[in-house]
Amino acid sequence: MARALFTSQYALMLEYRAEIALWALSGVLPLIMLGVWSGSGAGADAGLSPLQLSRYFLAAFVVRQFTIIWVIHAFEEDNLQGRLSPYLLQPLPPLWRYLAAHLAEQATRLPFVVVILAFVALVLPGTLWWPSPSSFLLAVLATHLVFLLRFLIQSLITMLCFWSERAAALERLQMIPYLFLSGLVAPLETFPEGMRAFAFATPFPWMIWFPARLLSGGEVDLAAGFGALAAWIVLLLPLTLLLWKAGIRRYSAMGA
Amino acid sequence: MAITLSTFRRYRRTLARFWATSLTAELEYQANFLIELLSVGGNLAGSVFLLSLFFGHGRSLGGWSWEQALVVLGVYTLLDGLTSTVLQPNLSTIVTHVRTGTLDFVLLKPIDSQFWLSARTFSPWGLPGVAMGLALMVVAAVRAGATPGPLALLQVAVLLIASALILYSLWFVLAATSIWFVKVWNATEVLRSALVAGRYPVAAYPAGLRTFFTLVLPVAFLTTVPAEAILGTGSSRWLLASVAVALVSLAFSRWFWGFALRFYTSASS
Amino acid sequence: MPIIRAEGLTKTYRVADKQPGLRGTLRHFFARRSREVPAVKDVSFSIEPGEIVGFLGPNGAGKTTTLKMLSGLIHPTAGTVEVAGHVPFRRQGGFLRSISLVMGQKQQLIWDLPPLDSLRVNAAVYGLDDAEAKRRIAELAEMLELGDELTRPVRKLSLGERMKAELLAALLHRPAVLFLDEPTLGLDVNAQARVRDFLADINRRTGTTVLLTSHYMGDITALCPRVLLIHQGHLFHDGPLDDLTERLTPCREVRLELKDLPSAEAFAGYGAVESCQGHQVRLLIPRDRLTAAVARLLANFAVVDLEVSEPPVEELIGRLFRQGVVA
Repeated sequence: MARALFTSQYALMLEYRAEIALWALSGVLPLIMLGVWSGSGAGADAGLSPLQLSRYFLAAFVVRQFTIIWVIHAFEEDNLQGRLSPYLLQPLPPLWRYLAAHLAEQATRLPFVVVILAFVALVLPGTLWWPSPSSFLLAVLATHLVFLLRFLIQSLITMLCFWSERAAALERLQMIPYLFLSGLVAPLETFPEGMRAFAFATPFPWMIWFPARLLSGGEVDLAAGFGALAAWIVLLLPLTLLLWKAGIRRYSAMGA
Repeated sequence: MAITLSTFRRYRRTLARFWATSLTAELEYQANFLIELLSVGGNLAGSVFLLSLFFGHGRSLGGWSWEQALVVLGVYTLLDGLTSTVLQPNLSTIVTHVRTGTLDFVLLKPIDSQFWLSARTFSPWGLPGVAMGLALMVVAAVRAGATPGPLALLQVAVLLIASALILYSLWFVLAATSIWFVKVWNATEVLRSALVAGRYPVAAYPAGLRTFFTLVLPVAFLTTVPAEAILGTGSSRWLLASVAVALVSLAFSRWFWGFALRFYTSASS
Repeated sequence: MPIIRAEGLTKTYRVADKQPGLRGTLRHFFARRSREVPAVKDVSFSIEPGEIVGFLGPNGAGKTTTLKMLSGLIHPTAGTVEVAGHVPFRRQGGFLRSISLVMGQKQQLIWDLPPLDSLRVNAAVYGLDDAEAKRRIAELAEMLELGDELTRPVRKLSLGERMKAELLAALLHRPAVLFLDEPTLGLDVNAQARVRDFLADINRRTGTTVLLTSHYMGDITALCPRVLLIHQGHLFHDGPLDDLTERLTPCREVRLELKDLPSAEAFAGYGAVESCQGHQVRLLIPRDRLTAAVARLLANFAVVDLEVSEPPVEELIGRLFRQGVVA
């Protein structure tokens, strides 16, 4: 059944290939930031060579591409269009459907990411590299965990929408610390001491900085990174499932 | 269509009605204001923090000092607020109109369709961004030691208007392409993410990107040129170029819309 | 002097040709194919001011496309069209002020606001001053039986009330021609009747030329003295509705009530069996064979009751559409 679900979602995503290409393109923020960082000497102050900087940001770009979550938008759209009720009647829990949709979307997105990377390689020769097999595998594992974590976080916020319409704003608001603390716009090494400590107390640095460092061949504390990711997932998984059940009950009770 | 005084009055009255009805609809959702305030404030705080990372150890960013770079950030925030107030709410509806077929109603009104689609909505939630950007511009400019006279201030005003027009044209042309590619409604997202480059003075970028952000995606004209004018480091050459780019962009957006409509009336059913 | 004139109006579309399924999607991704779809073929007619004309036809017949060409929303592929002295697709100010369009499933009113707010915007757009707008709104609201519905948000109105408000908005600027595309779609029987009454009323009072498309016979029979039948892009009939029914099949409907329970096959030789339920049978019999058929029916069956009447127009036209081209 999983294969049927995935292939149907993949076919659906291919219909949206134009939109997905654009979504891939709209993830250029790390590349723009690379432009700014490479022109500034501040990277060197933090002990990062220009090569390390460019690899880091390219890695951040790739990690971001594969950890983009849009379940709240899909859910709201389904709710608006009245597709939610029939979904709930099917034996497949809707979360699985959304998960499959996300995976299919990533599969569709992959060629466009490759194209963008190829373009970067053309413009800046020497920046692309082959990561060592071990760091590549670890980075892939970390990225998957980050994907799962972000999926859980957004699903949680989505569930809160059952109780309040304003809950969707939470998603927008949590994007702000994500943007600045995850390492998407600046490697955490460049942060002042106090800010860095604060950042590591949140789940955000593990979402971009950790896998990007792995992928770009930098030094990381593997135990701390995987441990943190696992801990956050273990914390949020039961919470999300609980809220999901409660949310569905509330939805049916409202007679939507 | 001949522009007469009565036509002008009709448009002005229509605009007033557009925005009055739009505000009435928006103000139903007061909670939005707090969320927008938090969002803009949080973004600004984060941006200022991020900018500060470049200025440790007495460094400069492309030759710009900390205070000077903050002026650029201020201009960016102001334009971003403008986008949220007028550009985003209006131009994202173009896609909806095309998709649901209600564009037909707009086309059958005896009023310019580009005007209708561009000015129909006014979202007050973007105003905090405009205010914060303006405040940042002024405070940072003062701290950078700028003392613009009335002529300089006039130039700044002209440049800000030019920036707004360039930004509008970019958004509008992009939104208009939804007539061909209805599915490509999120092209404006790409634009928005690329325009982020305007947070930093264009000199901060390596040479290749600098050219790109001046000639291809005119981010330089949007934020760096007005900032230079406030700080007194601008030149009349850039002023003229900016105005020229603004006028050309506006003209292009007009022509492009006509082109898009010709396609729409041939291909829709 | 006709207010609407169409000569050889034609519209052909290019449509993408794509196979379903994953393979088809991938193939289409690499090599697009398209084909030409004719929507309207060589349609000509002329309409005098003050007429009410109906465009009748099944879904996809080309009625909406024709209407959109008349209102200026679609550029014809070939042929000429003139409405109120203008070429529609130029959409000049004078033309736009003299027409109005109402579409059944789409609305121009703002969803979250009361209709009055949308009406005020329209008043400004059409250059009506506030006093004049107020008068016209009051007048139309009375005709449409709209009261405080005008002050409730549109999303809170029923479908029928929304359509009435749409009509009000469409007529605010007193257009010479009113185009309606499936105006009664989705409305309940009462609302349909109200809309039809209103359209007849406004036509009578102000002489507004009314053009409506519909696939409901009821709209046509109740409202339109003149019918343009469009099928597969062609114009099959242009004239009074009675002529149409005559032209289609000069038949009569014979309703029989029988003593015994009949089976449909038993009647096959007498005419087309419309329905056979319980003791009732309905047959369509061509007029020239009517008397003979009735005589045989009375002779061969135990008939309790027999009634001969005009077949409902829907039935005839439905047959036409199912069978295809009519001679």
